[in-house]
Amino acid sequence: MTGTFIKIFFFMLATVSLYTYVGQLVPQFEEHPPKKQVITPETPTSELVGIGQDLLHGKGGCLVCHMDADGGNNRGPDLRQAAAAANKHKPDMSAEAYLMESLLHPDDFLVPGYPRMMPAANKPPANLTPAEVKAVVAYMQTLGGMEPTVKVTMEDAAASKKVGAPVHLGRALLDEHGCTGCHKVAGEGGEVGPDLAVVASKREPADILKKLDDPTSWTTPGYPAGMMTKEMTQGISEGDRQEMVAYLAVSAGKEYSAAGTLSPWSHEGVRLGLVILVFNLGLLLALAVARRNEKKGEAA
Amino acid sequence: MESTQTGAYAALKAAWKGVVKISLMLAVTYLVANWFISSLPAADYRSLFGLSNRNAIWIVAQLHLMFGAFVLGVPIFAYITEIIGVATKEKRYDGLAREFTKLLAMAYTLTAVLGCLLLLLLVVLYPKLTGYLSGLFKPTWLFYIVLIFGEVIVATLYWVTWDRLQGSLKKWHLLLGLLVNLWGTAILFTADIWVTFMMSPGGIDEMNNLTSLWGAINNHTWLPINIHRLIANVAFGGAIVAAYAAVRFLNAKTDAERAQYDWMGYIGSFIAIAAFIPLPFAGYWLGREIYQFSEQMGVSMMGGSFAWLWILQAMLIGLLFFAANFYLWLGMGRIPGAERYTKFQVGLMLILTLGFMIWATPRSIIASGMEMAAMGGSHHPFLGLFGVMAAKNTAVNMMILTTFISFMIYRRGNRIPVVPWATKGNIAQALTIAAATAIVVFYGFYSYFVPSITRIGFSIYQVGAVLAAMALFVAIDIPLLKGAKEIGPIQWGKIAPRSQYALFFLAISFTWLMGLMGYIRSGIRQYWHIYGRIADDSANAFTPTHGHATLMVSAITIVFFLLVSAVFAMAARYKDSEETAQ
Repeated sequence: MTGTFIKIFFFMLATVSLYTYVGQLVPQFEEHPPKKQVITPETPTSELVGIGQDLLHGKGGCLVCHMDADGGNNRGPDLRQAAAAANKHKPDMSAEAYLMESLLHPDDFLVPGYPRMMPAANKPPANLTPAEVKAVVAYMQTLGGMEPTVKVTMEDAAASKKVGAPVHLGRALLDEHGCTGCHKVAGEGGEVGPDLAVVASKREPADILKKLDDPTSWTTPGYPAGMMTKEMTQGISEGDRQEMVAYLAVSAGKEYSAAGTLSPWSHEGVRLGLVILVFNLGLLLALAVARRNEKKGEAA
Repeated sequence: MESTQTGAYAALKAAWKGVVKISLMLAVTYLVANWFISSLPAADYRSLFGLSNRNAIWIVAQLHLMFGAFVLGVPIFAYITEIIGVATKEKRYDGLAREFTKLLAMAYTLTAVLGCLLLLLLVVLYPKLTGYLSGLFKPTWLFYIVLIFGEVIVATLYWVTWDRLQGSLKKWHLLLGLLVNLWGTAILFTADIWVTFMMSPGGIDEMNNLTSLWGAINNHTWLPINIHRLIANVAFGGAIVAAYAAVRFLNAKTDAERAQYDWMGYIGSFIAIAAFIPLPFAGYWLGREIYQFSEQMGVSMMGGSFAWLWILQAMLIGLLFFAANFYLWLGMGRIPGAERYTKFQVGLMLILTLGFMIWATPRSIIASGMEMAAMGGSHHPFLGLFGVMAAKNTAVNMMILTTFISFMIYRRGNRIPVVPWATKGNIAQALTIAAATAIVVFYGFYSYFVPSITRIGFSIYQVGAVLAAMALFVAIDIPLLKGAKEIGPIQWGKIAPRSQYALFFLAISFTWLMGLMGYIRSGIRQYWHIYGRIADDSANAFTPTHGHATLMVSAITIVFFLLVSAVFAMAARYKDSEETAQ
């Protein structure tokens, strides 16, 4: 038995070693996520072009189908030619506008002979922010032998903060726990209390958590104290509070993570445990009944 | 392990024990997770004891998946065997199904332990992502827990009532078997929801808030992965059972034992290969859905970062075809009269070899600058023609047809058809295969002259021709061999021991292939947790080298087989003690 086992074990080692060896023979490379770049209206044009090039090669994933001076593929048009002809396609459109629109609405700007296969640059999986799209346009203009004309605005930079914000269930939870009955959130909700977007922009997340824990701890100036009571907030689990505060903080452009105190492992876990316990006890009861019936049968 | 001759009380007690075991595991997981969460500082990502969080999840998730495939695949397999036993009234099939089911008891425990460990690691190491996913899919994971308890109860009852529910009560046992498999399939489909959502998210708005739970569940890849995994589980379960039979065969002390385990190994490998044959077709469907969801993801998978791993996959599948055919040809040695077909083996071997060579030909050759200059690019002027899908689709379809022919030859090894239309039947079968070959080869050549979008459609004709030919061939074969003259009974047990290593090879390669495909499926998300929606911001967001990935897959395969050996050892010990008691 042991001898057979050893033979089989070595046979397995030989087989997996063969596969591992072949795995080492093929080209080896690590693919790293794109670098996070900050683009502001003050970013110099030359830097913007460099960022655009990085985005086109990395986050944008453009070279999966297109080609530029550094290589790529020919599933889509060569970007050098496409960029060079950008001001010739539509007489009423500047090269910048043409490139911008073709990145955002690729199906409307199809080059003849190529299928509809390109996702919009500002949609998944590329998910480029408005400022990043402009950086790519700047780079493409240089590819086409033009001077970059794009200008990143404050709005672009601000919008970039919101796009790709972390995921929070907070918006739905604010509805679920009735907060939007009195407060406005993202332009929707009541007006009894202050707009939570304003509150979140002025207060730290810890303050909002404190307010949820003890509504008398502070009150927004201009609103009467005592409107929000402990009864309103005491039923909200810790995890849900964290999620709501995280949503508000991130919407206000602040860094905040609700990690570590998530709701599925607070109250729901205990409730589920109780249900499982009751189920176990029910089975135990059924077992006792079956045992009694069996004994009765044996006695009969 | 409970006896299978128990009454209602003992059966219920066994099921209750299983429920208590799962309840305790969940309770411990919950408490330990909470302890970690309350003691560790809040973070989006954590690592434990300096180990890479990604590697920890990778190892545990893959092991859990392999054991999951085992405990879902083996019952399907056992149930099919049990039905064959009822239909043919051959007791040995029932015994075989019973022995398969026995392998499950400990495998269930190991699967559950690994599942709890995975859950713990996800909650502790990736708290934010896990929090988001569990919040989004709360109804599904509650349903999942209900399914787990249901599976434990039904599977236990299926096992412990085996001997009691015989004869006129057998229909109730078959019903239990059906329930075990329905429950198991529901578990698989539910777990696939979370995995496929991460690949091809749906049902969420731009801020990633849930808009439709059904949209999130029924995402692009959910259904094809369900089907792909379901078929693969049967193949995997069959291969593992065949490996178990091979161990028992090699350790057998009597001819009767050798005969029993030779037969068991054959049935295991037969079901494994039968399930393996349609697997590439399910894979095509999955691939198509991936492309439909995201062209970029599809291109990264097939032509980008992961392209080279498909060459490795082609090598593995090619070797699996070789091993399956090798086992069948060796097996023909124990069939009186099968020597009539030995002459075909060389031709079949040549087709397999040619198919293997074409399928493993890379599109771009690894070459030095000088070699590339001489070739005029990274594509070889002649070999490059075989590195494209047109050639590869043709090759794999021909390999499938070849393996099917080996099976059919094996099937009629000791039989001579006696029906009056035998000659016509044989000609019709030969024409069926010839027609399928002609269609496969024709579209293979034609593919070179059409754009890629048209070429993709041709694979459907090729696959359709092969499937239709196999179905038609079998439809003719069944009445053709009805009442056939038997040259002699199959000499079970009289097969060369090296044939058993072909069975091990099948099991090891299936397992390794599962690990590799699992890596590709997960890896094509690249630096995204949820593709295109939630990026991986951890230090492990990069795609590792292929060398690193294959090392990980090998390590996981070795650990899996060491754990499976423990299951086999316990099952063998139980079987031996049961026989001693009798």
